[in-house]
Amino acid sequence: MRGVSAIESVAKEAVPTGAWLDFFSQIDGLGDTELDQRLASLQRQVRDNGVTYNVYADEHGPQRPWSLDLFPLLLDAPSWAVIESGVRQRMRLLEQVLADAYGPQDLVRRGLLPAALVHGHPGYLRAMHGVEPVGGVRLHIAAFDLAHGPDGHWWVVGQRCQAPSGLGYLLENRLAISGQFPQAFQALRVQRLAATYRTLMESLRRCSPAGEQAHIALLTPGPYNETYFEHAYLARYLGLTLVEGSDLMVRDERLFLKTLNGLVPVHGLLKRVDDAFMDPLELRADSTLGVPGLLQAVRAGNLLMANAPGTAFLESPALLGFLPALAQQLLGESLQLPALPTWWCGEEAALQSALPRLRDCVIKPTYPASAPQGGFDAVLGRRLTEAELDAWSARLARQGEDYTVQAYLPLSQMPTWQNGTTAGFPGRMAPRSLMLRVFAVSDANGGWSVLPGGLARLAGASQEITSMQYGGSSADVWALTEGKVDRTSLLQSRASPTELAQRKRLVTSRAAENLFWLGRYTERAENTLRLARLVLDCLNGEEQTNGPLLNWLGRMSVAHTLVLPGVPAPAQARRVFERALMASLDSRDSATSVGFNLRALKMAASAVRERLSQEHWRLITRTEEEFAADCAAQVRRGEYASVDALRTLKHCSERMAAITGAQTDRMTRDDGWRLLSIGRHIERLGFLASSLDTALEPGMLDTEGGFEAMLTLFDSSITFHAQYQQSRQLAALLDLLVLDRDNPRSLAWVAQTLRGRLARLAESQPDDSRKLAGIVPDPQGWTLTQLCQPHTLQSALQNYRSTALSLSEAVSARYFTHTALSNQSVGHA
Amino acid sequence: MRLQVVHSTRYDYSPAVETAQHMAYLEPPDKPGQRLISHTLQIHPGPAQQHSTRDVHGNRRCFFSLQSPHRSLEILAHSVLETSAPAMPNSRLGWEAARALFRYRAGQTVDPACEFSFASPYAPRDSAFAAYAQPSFPSEGGLLAGAMDLMQRMHADFTYESHSTQVNTPALQALAQRKGVCQDFAHIMVACLRSLGLSARYVSGYLLTQPAPGMPRLRGSDASHAWASVYVPDLPADRRWVDLDPTNCRAGSHAPGEDYVTLATGRDFGDVSPVRGVINGGASHTLTVGVTVDPLPEGRVGRDSPDTTFAT
Repeated sequence: MRGVSAIESVAKEAVPTGAWLDFFSQIDGLGDTELDQRLASLQRQVRDNGVTYNVYADEHGPQRPWSLDLFPLLLDAPSWAVIESGVRQRMRLLEQVLADAYGPQDLVRRGLLPAALVHGHPGYLRAMHGVEPVGGVRLHIAAFDLAHGPDGHWWVVGQRCQAPSGLGYLLENRLAISGQFPQAFQALRVQRLAATYRTLMESLRRCSPAGEQAHIALLTPGPYNETYFEHAYLARYLGLTLVEGSDLMVRDERLFLKTLNGLVPVHGLLKRVDDAFMDPLELRADSTLGVPGLLQAVRAGNLLMANAPGTAFLESPALLGFLPALAQQLLGESLQLPALPTWWCGEEAALQSALPRLRDCVIKPTYPASAPQGGFDAVLGRRLTEAELDAWSARLARQGEDYTVQAYLPLSQMPTWQNGTTAGFPGRMAPRSLMLRVFAVSDANGGWSVLPGGLARLAGASQEITSMQYGGSSADVWALTEGKVDRTSLLQSRASPTELAQRKRLVTSRAAENLFWLGRYTERAENTLRLARLVLDCLNGEEQTNGPLLNWLGRMSVAHTLVLPGVPAPAQARRVFERALMASLDSRDSATSVGFNLRALKMAASAVRERLSQEHWRLITRTEEEFAADCAAQVRRGEYASVDALRTLKHCSERMAAITGAQTDRMTRDDGWRLLSIGRHIERLGFLASSLDTALEPGMLDTEGGFEAMLTLFDSSITFHAQYQQSRQLAALLDLLVLDRDNPRSLAWVAQTLRGRLARLAESQPDDSRKLAGIVPDPQGWTLTQLCQPHTLQSALQNYRSTALSLSEAVSARYFTHTALSNQSVGHA
Repeated sequence: MRLQVVHSTRYDYSPAVETAQHMAYLEPPDKPGQRLISHTLQIHPGPAQQHSTRDVHGNRRCFFSLQSPHRSLEILAHSVLETSAPAMPNSRLGWEAARALFRYRAGQTVDPACEFSFASPYAPRDSAFAAYAQPSFPSEGGLLAGAMDLMQRMHADFTYESHSTQVNTPALQALAQRKGVCQDFAHIMVACLRSLGLSARYVSGYLLTQPAPGMPRLRGSDASHAWASVYVPDLPADRRWVDLDPTNCRAGSHAPGEDYVTLATGRDFGDVSPVRGVINGGASHTLTVGVTVDPLPEGRVGRDSPDTTFAT
């Protein structure tokens, strides 16, 4: 049991506020081991929910689990009140600065704001000059990074005004941490977050040209962006369509979403793509993330963008030094929440003030890294040698505009819980430096609301700078209130039935394509799993000397690349074949190993994450991870035991059953789901037809083992024996596996289902695509007598194999073509 | 001088382009030293939408989009202008004094032209530009005299060589190799002036070229031209931009000469590229550009009106 005095001392040393004492007395009953357990369970939860932050933000970069500390940062009511009102005042000011910069430009002309920080900043978009913002507001969302001084005051260090990240992560943090300490959460009167998100949505709708009926989408750069997790998370939480630039198009100065059912108007975009990439026609021509013509739609007043394009210049740290005077000028007020003293070295007087104190300051780039001047990492004066300081002074004097000097404030710290280790070190309390990011959003009345909470970013053990990119961590932020806690839930938001109906139908073309492939890879994973189990069972059971069976299994294994083509046939070298198969279960080289299919399934699912429940997604990631871990363990041992491999396969099959269960039972049956189902059945049709076709040739079905193997592969043993007892007639087999329309593994059932789904999909299409259903042969005309003719059967099976191929192509061509074409810019020499 | 400009741009695509959006800066402005008499813009196939506006620098730009498959796109701009011979202004303003005018001092009124003293993507500031420009700008030297000297030095130092650079060749690279085309020279000159803290902009336009003696004038053999313009704050308000053409070593108020036509002005080529677009489909494309500038006798408006015209 930890003594209160120890907690108290750390707490006091860290952030001197009485709220910490309340918190620790609430959790006083918890011993070290319980805190260890809670932290472990928290880390598991973060991993399970797939909260990630892609460190290198590229295709092959690692996805790192989001890092979250156990203790929340506590802000007592008086401290919070200062932050809230100060941030709101800054929002009013920044909005006015924007209005001037894109309007009369008085501030620049009168020398209140340097032109170098407006016209000289790459974030200032000339294309937006003179454009009235849709809905009257330019700045809908902004984030402020605050540092806490030893004197207890909060200081503004920087501001994010373009597309600030964190609004999704902090929600996830809140859910996780309030769940760890439910009593403390209640007792401390922590302000809730939902009302602010609701305010934002109401504001966006009201500002958009379509008002309450607005269709608002969240524009993401895509799954390779470092904060994609939160884009999907926010889209789901706010009920927005998650879109990428290629999902959208502009026509007649209006924005449309490409969906399965044609073009659907979009009236508002919550954007997480940087301005420069928004419109390749007018801005960066090499951008593939934007929408050509987007700025025309904005200028025409047909599209609300949050934020309006062109707010990025506000992010320059240099601006902080000018805001106090601008507040006097524009608002007639002093700033309530001060910024750290900041000098822009483009101004002679500021340069002269900054030079003598460089050692106690941070040198920051005035312009972002994307600017023609290029950026650099912030430099801490006290880390520099005398010679380096001189070199910096010379640089500042020569090209002052590019540099901003800011007073250095040692970050104050908060208590965190560091887990005990397996080596026996006990868990302990440890202080960490923190930076607080708070968010303000526009409300529906032309003002702004400050989210009561935020994202605390913690530095590593010996770091002075906090950054999620450099391995920092995060903490939930509890803003306490002395008044009533607002328990608004986002679920109460009013939506008309027509609006709801509309929202349900929307399936973007990209989502449709990914759902289709999700279906195909699900089925492929199941097929290869079942086949691998069958092969290992047969090689080790009574049938291990059944030549025709072994030949068939060998051919099937090669056809589905469970083994590479060079491996000797199982009839010749049974153990060699078995080892080869086990060794490549999770092979990264062959394109259709079981592991590959599981990874492909996960990839397709990750692209439509906003359509899957947390539980469903967790199931998918865990299945893939466990399979990979099990296989890796066997590779490490270097010893391939078929018993172990079979256990891994069986376990994975059970997981797959849960995944397919979630697909059939837990997903809305809209057109997107139909494409998933079509994907699965196309795959099943091809697999079953080719299995049966190859089984016919060598007379494999004449042996009992071969007959049973066939039934196992079709997952139909139980049904068959219930219907035909011990009979081994080919006619009975064909009846069940080909003709039976109640057996979900029979070809007739698969064909019939495909025809039904395709017909249903065609109903909601603007043009006639009914002929797709006609590609699949109608099983109605078949008779058992006909099928028992070997030639008829073979040609029917081959017909189905080619149907699977041609149908897949036809579905792709009909439904997915527009996302496959990419935009390219053409210049003029 | 009465000049007729025919500027044709043709894209051939393979396979067909499904949809396309374009932006064109092809309409010359009416401005001091240049009167626009007529202008037509023909687009084949006819666009689904088309509209024309002024950009932030006052240039006319035309947006148009095509929404059905097409294998080629032809844009034909036809303009007739009346130009007058520019004067060469006199300025005694020192370049350091001009630079001081663009530097920020709290509370002091700023000349809006200082916008053109900042780096832009194609004409950045760099110490290499400053170093090259420095000999033309001795201590207490004149701004305009310095700019003229810089132009003359560039004309002497640089080799005009077609295809030695690409559209996106950085000006720094062109400076290092001392060769390029008119567009590079314009960017280098603008970047040199900006690197000293002065305001300069990029001008896109045309130049009447004379055929070799005894040779007929060839149709479409010319190219569009580009040059630089420097801001001289002590001149009368409507004559502060002085144009300098480092490719041909000519200079004057509003234009380097009577045989020049100004098409658009901006921070650099990126602001005023004559035609740019984003196409969907059309994996590969070829581009053919032809420009013909002809002198016309007074009173003639130009060739017959084309079949389809879109007033802009």
